[in-house]
Amino acid sequence: MKAKRIAAVATKETREVLRDPITLGVALMMPLVLLLLFGYAITLDVDDIALGVLDEDHSPASRQLQQAFTASDAFRLTARLRHYHEVESTLQGGEARLVLVIPAGFQRRLARGEASPVQLLVDGSYSATATLVSQRALAVTRGFGRDSPASLLSLDTRVWFNPSLSSVHTVVPALYAVILMAFPPLLTALALVREKETGTIQQIYASPLSAAEFLCGKLVPYGAIACVQMAMVIIAGLLWFGVPFHGSPGVLLAVSLLYVLCTLGIGLLVSAVTRTQLVAMLAVLIITLMPSFLFSGMLFPIFTMPYLLQLYTLLFPGRYFVDIARGVVLKGVGVEILWPSIAVVAVYTLLILALAAWRLKKKVA
Amino acid sequence: MTTVIRADGVGRRFAGRRVLADIDLEVRDGEIFGLLGPDGAGKTTLMQLLAAILDPSEGQLTVFGFDTRHGAEEVNARVGYMTQAFSLYDRLSVIENLQFAARIRDVAASDFRLRSEELLTMAGLENARHRRAGQLSGGMRKKLSLCAALIHAPALLLLDELSLGVDPLSRRDLWRLLRRHRDEGNTVVISTPYMDEAEHCDRLGFLHDGQLVALDTPARLRRRVTGHIYQLATSHLDETEALVRSWPGISSLQRLANRLRIQLAPDQDVPVDALARLDGLGHLVAVEPTLEEAFIALSPLSAPAVLPPPMPPAFAATGVEVRAERLGVHFGDVMAVHEVSLRVPPGEVIGWLGPNGAGKTTLIRVLCGLQKPSVGRAWVGELSVTEQVGQLRRRLGYMSQHFSLYPDLSVAENLRFFAGIYGLAGRQRRLAIDWASHMTHLTGLEEQRVDALSAAVRQRLALACSILHGPAVLFLDEPTSGIDPLSRQHFWHLILTLAGQGMTVFVTTHYLEEANYCHRLGLMHQGRLIALDTPDQLRVTLGLPHDAGMEAVFMAGIEREQRRAS
Repeated sequence: MKAKRIAAVATKETREVLRDPITLGVALMMPLVLLLLFGYAITLDVDDIALGVLDEDHSPASRQLQQAFTASDAFRLTARLRHYHEVESTLQGGEARLVLVIPAGFQRRLARGEASPVQLLVDGSYSATATLVSQRALAVTRGFGRDSPASLLSLDTRVWFNPSLSSVHTVVPALYAVILMAFPPLLTALALVREKETGTIQQIYASPLSAAEFLCGKLVPYGAIACVQMAMVIIAGLLWFGVPFHGSPGVLLAVSLLYVLCTLGIGLLVSAVTRTQLVAMLAVLIITLMPSFLFSGMLFPIFTMPYLLQLYTLLFPGRYFVDIARGVVLKGVGVEILWPSIAVVAVYTLLILALAAWRLKKKVA
Repeated sequence: MTTVIRADGVGRRFAGRRVLADIDLEVRDGEIFGLLGPDGAGKTTLMQLLAAILDPSEGQLTVFGFDTRHGAEEVNARVGYMTQAFSLYDRLSVIENLQFAARIRDVAASDFRLRSEELLTMAGLENARHRRAGQLSGGMRKKLSLCAALIHAPALLLLDELSLGVDPLSRRDLWRLLRRHRDEGNTVVISTPYMDEAEHCDRLGFLHDGQLVALDTPARLRRRVTGHIYQLATSHLDETEALVRSWPGISSLQRLANRLRIQLAPDQDVPVDALARLDGLGHLVAVEPTLEEAFIALSPLSAPAVLPPPMPPAFAATGVEVRAERLGVHFGDVMAVHEVSLRVPPGEVIGWLGPNGAGKTTLIRVLCGLQKPSVGRAWVGELSVTEQVGQLRRRLGYMSQHFSLYPDLSVAENLRFFAGIYGLAGRQRRLAIDWASHMTHLTGLEEQRVDALSAAVRQRLALACSILHGPAVLFLDEPTSGIDPLSRQHFWHLILTLAGQGMTVFVTTHYLEEANYCHRLGLMHQGRLIALDTPDQLRVTLGLPHDAGMEAVFMAGIEREQRRAS
């Protein structure tokens, strides 16, 4: 490894990138676009739920209960029903996601200190929201009950790390992992395969430059771009989505750099074994983008997956980085706790780069 | 003298297919060694083996005493390799490309300054230093590629198809660089399909089907066939050719614009009664052989096939005259074509020569109705190239070096497809395909897939596809680059036969030997038509000896124009 040769490749590569404003622009804009899209689209929060009410009691207590619902941000009253048979059509037509039925005698029972049942009918056609809707409704009714003498036990839950239970706060740090997995490898893969397509790679093969020197030189400009991407999404997450940052930015940046080397290395490895830009691009998308959505724990928690799939997720470096990013950003922890994940990413990076250098034989066939 | 390259029984296979076999070769320092052969003969593969970027499947290959398999780094450090495809980074400037080539080869900064200045000056690129490589012309790019391969002063320089697509002026600059490099004690190996380029080499190896069939100096190779080559100047080509074909032992018969060139097998002589029978038809003289003829004697191919069939009457091209009056095409301030007037009678084969960017292609595009002229008018027969484009296209045939055949279709399917494009159907289509495939000797190959064909057969198929509709005017763009000499002769035989039936043929080419087949030559320079005459008459007006080669004619024409301009 000669530093001068690596510098020569890095200089050449940097010039090429800087003189291709379209690629550069896309490379810098795409992560932001992805961040905005996913930051808004992947929200598991339920707000402003359409609520229907069938009040058969018409008492101050029943009105109070309704107010308890509408007073929170979660529910919005959209339908007042008069008969029980209207419930089904309301839910079918989507006028309301849930219907609260307050039976006659509600206030009387409350006054007597008896249990006074109310009915919640929830649209279960989308199960994830249905669960959340019913949980929130339950919380409201519990809260209502607590003020009454009938409630003997009160449960007080407190959520740590993400007290507002905002899914943006969990999704955005995980997006760092996905974005850095999706774009940097695409850049390196295309940059190398392009040289194969145009034939310039033969000059590289026929020169004393070693495969490792060549790859190192290629890593420099794309590593820099990836760092800029990383900085952009962290800042956008902080300022735009208001994601709190509890841990040390230095730790996150250092680990990001390591992780970026790993993802760039995946791109290089792909390009070492493919011949055309199209194949390289498809291969990168399949290897990096898809698994990092599905198996990184960004959207679907890994601990709820079947055991075999849990083992499968261990293959994806994105999974470790999601843990690291959430750990630093949300939990404010540092190396002392995250070191196993960091170690795995480090080993992974070394393996990938070594494999790429080994696979890039300096031969045309 | 030390041995630079030594190959013992070297061969290479790709997926079981033999591309090179039994190559025994020794190249010593201080020579320019030429690898000559048609496309697909294995030239590039051998070059890659020599550059140690490909391992031989069998045999042993050493370069500077290092085995190319195990000592690749050592070989890489001593070799400069210029690939056939452009090996430049388009977004880097001329000097940045050179800088990159130098730095990955550990050239010291002070050496780089000196050498780059020297090379750029010699290549005539000193004023293009800061231009992006992507903006250079084809000739300049080649020169820059060569400079990049020379920047570390390699003891062995490997050049794959140096002159492909390079005009003769740039070619002269390239060769000046090469000779100087050799004179400094280095070795050069160059591969080329061009015979005239091979003449400049110290020694030649002729590759045919992956085998080295000859290895000698150009002079000694030519001497092998001395005394067996005759030339017959005649104005009765058809009659004379029929007569000569009856002679025994003809290994090739070249039909040029106004003469025949006859090559006899080594054990044959001109028949005793031949001279008497030729009396009044033409004059037979023994001539100096060309390299091409030396290689025809070596190649295991058969003698030319029988005369092609006449065109079926249904589309016998009624010959038309092509005329242009003060034609001009201006792109902004650039005059791509300027004040060109010409008149080409039916049945004439006319060659267009000129450096890259001289306006040949633009002129042809105007005559095809693809480019609107800025000023002037032109006609093909009665059809104006600006007013009656639709009708015009049906009277034209066009064939280029990169003719768009469909590689996954068979010969017959390609023919049917192109016949369909020209609106031929049913019986008419069948007749046209029969005629065109007879004409181009494709009978029997109909079911073969195009990607399995040799370059020469593909070329004939391309020709067949472009003449199916019986065009009155045929345009050929570098029609025979990369095919072997004998196939080239066959090809031109076809073209001259078509011309004999009334088809007007326009040829643009950088391969100057092709110009020998043309009745007249048009020389273009910076958009102007600077000469339009028969080759013989051109030699006279330019004050050249009567046997001067085409390259000399070209150079003299350009130089006369440059003197006139200054």
